[in-house]
Amino acid sequence: MSLVNYATREITCKIVYYGPGRSGKTTNLHYIYGQVPSDRKGRMVSLATQTDRTLFFDFLPLDLGTISGFTTKMQLYTVPGQVYYQTTRKLVLQGADGVVFVADSQARQLEENIESLQDLHANLAEHGIDARLVPLVLQYNKQNLPPELILDMPAMEEALNFRNVPAFAADALHGPGVFETLRGISELVLRRLSGATSSTPSATSGSAVGVDAGRR
Amino acid sequence: MTIAVVEPWVEAPLRHFVQDAQVTLALLLTPSGQVLGQHGFTRAVDVMAACALAAAIHASSSELGKMLEGKPFAGLHHAGATRQIFLAPAETRRGTLLCLTVFDDATSIGIVQLYFDELRGRLEAGAPGARTPPTGVLADTFEQDLNRNLTLLFRR
Amino acid sequence: MTSVFLEMLDGFTRQRGVQGGLVVSERDGIVVDAHVQLGVRASVVAALAASIYRKARLSAEAAGLGGVAYVELAAVQGRLCMAGRGDLVVVLVTDGRSSVGLLRTALLRALDNLP
Repeated sequence: MSLVNYATREITCKIVYYGPGRSGKTTNLHYIYGQVPSDRKGRMVSLATQTDRTLFFDFLPLDLGTISGFTTKMQLYTVPGQVYYQTTRKLVLQGADGVVFVADSQARQLEENIESLQDLHANLAEHGIDARLVPLVLQYNKQNLPPELILDMPAMEEALNFRNVPAFAADALHGPGVFETLRGISELVLRRLSGATSSTPSATSGSAVGVDAGRR
Repeated sequence: MTIAVVEPWVEAPLRHFVQDAQVTLALLLTPSGQVLGQHGFTRAVDVMAACALAAAIHASSSELGKMLEGKPFAGLHHAGATRQIFLAPAETRRGTLLCLTVFDDATSIGIVQLYFDELRGRLEAGAPGARTPPTGVLADTFEQDLNRNLTLLFRR
Repeated sequence: MTSVFLEMLDGFTRQRGVQGGLVVSERDGIVVDAHVQLGVRASVVAALAASIYRKARLSAEAAGLGGVAYVELAAVQGRLCMAGRGDLVVVLVTDGRSSVGLLRTALLRALDNLP
């Protein structure tokens, strides 16, 4: 749950990047870390294996600046994607205000994407959270790969976006779509805090391959 | 002594604890890693990293406790060459809170545990009722601020 | 109680007025072994007594008096008697009926048998 401090007018939200192994969750955080000025970010903490696979989580605190008079901070987490880190994923998901599901657009990874999305729903349910009520955006990463290797946006939407949530094409390694995804989830999470009734963002679009990936 | 708190009701218990137990750093946080109060941290970023790691340690050791003896461990103590840490949960009406504390030779784990029990009692007694999810915090026009800040953040 | 301190602590608690005996780690303030009557909060006594003993030892050293041989805390209804060797401190909790002289002798003799 977002932590709102009325005395110091501060808001802190927890965003979790979820998805199958090697889909690009940590890459998203690395890109954000590399782009954001040093006075607006904290130390990036990575609990990784010797081969740089996420073991527990990556953590990046971001200062979004003042929004409606509140200093707004986002704590970005990733989960380890490999199937056998199920318990760890559940732990990191605890208290999440929003989730970015990073899917791997490669056609051969479709099963993994679906499995991971189901795993997300199961873990939210275990925390007593109705998955339909959690701010969620999808990111179809690696859309920059050759077309014969990947599923295009409509195919990814068809396979994964049954909740009709905002979705973004991305190339997290080089940046396209990363910012748009962060904006999308930030907007959904903050929209909750604003008390607005609408659940769709007003203007989000992400494009890594010239496709308008934002859903309105 | 400087105590910084997010929620005012944790200030007095935390202040008592720091004074009595003679610890150098103390951090109160939620199990999801959000800070509620702190003493001794000089840079905000370090607090956040400490919170994320403390929440992770607690979460994993609790799961290990559940696996091994059916319930989470009561607390965790690491002793270094000069500094030690103690991490333990406190149940309150606001839900579970975690306390991470760092101490040196000026005190001992026995003293820290002793006064942690008092801290736990004070938090339990002082906690207001369960927090309802905040709504209507931000103005309807928050998107403008958000877009402006994100644009600045990514230098676009 | 199954430790190597069993015999020593058992011997203390047989003495008149002794409500409990504890072997405590001076550095950590935690109970290594204890034999106490109901109502004596062993972990609390251990933490605070170890802290007192440590401060007394450091004070004596700072004053150039050498190590501490024996520390006694007189309270309204009894005494805490402490003596230590290495990191271990033996703490006795006594009521007003105890013979302090006898206890002190026994305590100092017992230190020789600490591992």
